[in-house]
Amino acid sequence: MALRPSRPVLSLQGVALVERQFSATPARLDFELLRSELAMVQVDDEADAAALVDLCVGLVDPGAGQVRFLGVDWTTRTPRERLHRRRRIGAVVQTDVWPAHMTVLDSVLVASAYHFDRPPTEVIADATALARLFGLPGLPTGRRETTPRRALVRAACVRGFLGSPDLIVVQDQTLDQASDLAVPLAQAISAARDRGGAVLWITASLVAQAAQFVQAEHLFRLGEHGLVRMRRSR
Amino acid sequence: MIAGAQRRSVAVRWPRRAMATLGTATISTTRRLLLYLALAATVLIVAMRRGAWRGPVWIEFKRVLHEVAVRSLPTTVATGVLVGFALVSQAVYWLAQTGTTGLVGQVIVILLIREFVPILVGLIVFGRSGTATLIELGEAQTKGWLRLLEIQGLDPLALLVLPRAFGFALGAFCLATVLLLATLSTGYLVAHGLGLVAYSIWDFSDLVLRAMKVEDFIFPPLKCITIGFAVALACCATGLGRRDETDELQRLVPRGFVRSALAILVVNSVFDLVV
Repeated sequence: MALRPSRPVLSLQGVALVERQFSATPARLDFELLRSELAMVQVDDEADAAALVDLCVGLVDPGAGQVRFLGVDWTTRTPRERLHRRRRIGAVVQTDVWPAHMTVLDSVLVASAYHFDRPPTEVIADATALARLFGLPGLPTGRRETTPRRALVRAACVRGFLGSPDLIVVQDQTLDQASDLAVPLAQAISAARDRGGAVLWITASLVAQAAQFVQAEHLFRLGEHGLVRMRRSR
Repeated sequence: MIAGAQRRSVAVRWPRRAMATLGTATISTTRRLLLYLALAATVLIVAMRRGAWRGPVWIEFKRVLHEVAVRSLPTTVATGVLVGFALVSQAVYWLAQTGTTGLVGQVIVILLIREFVPILVGLIVFGRSGTATLIELGEAQTKGWLRLLEIQGLDPLALLVLPRAFGFALGAFCLATVLLLATLSTGYLVAHGLGLVAYSIWDFSDLVLRAMKVEDFIFPPLKCITIGFAVALACCATGLGRRDETDELQRLVPRGFVRSALAILVVNSVFDLVV
């Protein structure tokens, strides 16, 4: 009996990335990401990388084409429904950005407490385990200003991988440069994939140290006119 | 001839330009007012939704309420003492001079309870907590954490505006009670100390309470709550409205102050007109 093909977690069909920082031509984006898959996309410019993240998580609508998350086109949903659907997305983005009125600990836990009814002790235990994986003794409890940069980057990783998201988006140039994060990041990605989550890693370089420790199903580079499939040299 | 035609053209253009400026200002003010009313209505509707008051929203509400009602207590008591010293003792003094001390209760009720306390509380709430909100939320877009909250699926209206609006509203009511008590006690003690009044504090309280009608137990507290709510909305809207770094943070506080002060006065006037 033939198995029913699984529904893509994320699919971009004929999507045009219009507003690009250093290019006048819109880039055409087509790819599908199934459960437990990892796609790595090399995007040279950080503004383009952030724009790609915004498209994938339904924060902005594409000029053309469709972005579907778990089979649903983002544009068919109201802003409130979009927010609700994003509870199934984890994002390791903007590692230096933390809300001013919250401690780092609160900021890491807030999404989980807002969307799900899990007991706080369980969430804190999971977050602490992730924090240890990323090389922290525990979760930072101070505010953004009093927490070292190194700890903030690791706490941002905990924030993104916490829970069991269906899709994890990783995009921050700091992660490409932090060599001591390469192994823990690869381990966290593997654990997420084992749980059935898909991972989209937007990196500045496919040869970044962290990227060497993962086996991606899809490798792309965002070129002048769109995504170009790449092959990793061995 | 050309010069004459140009002069006529300028003469015709000037009133047009003035009308255009007036029209633009009116449209922009009306639009801002409607947006503000829409925000107020949205916050009230969202607050009534069962799912709106989730854990982090409650935590934020309690933090804001603590900030408004507890941290502002010393300022409120100090303001109450100063106002009591000036206002109540002056009222008692002048009423004693004119031989109408029997009116002291009515004068205090009309001046203090219905008018001064709500306005003063609005200003205290803005000064102590509104400015902090302006600066906190003024960084939300420029520092990028508003985008981060949205990526995480957190509704900024529920997580940022809702707890502040209700925290400020409830906090304003608490502060109004404290301010009123501090003002009346100080006023009585000063007047008694100066020998302007001979009756006890219980008789003084009795005079004030007898001068109050049933409406005075309903509308002044409601006015304070509405003023707190309006100040919170003005601060949240102004803070979150800051889009980029070109809009300097230093300009945000004066802008927020003008909007909050206007909101306080408008709410006060509406209550005075309606009640």
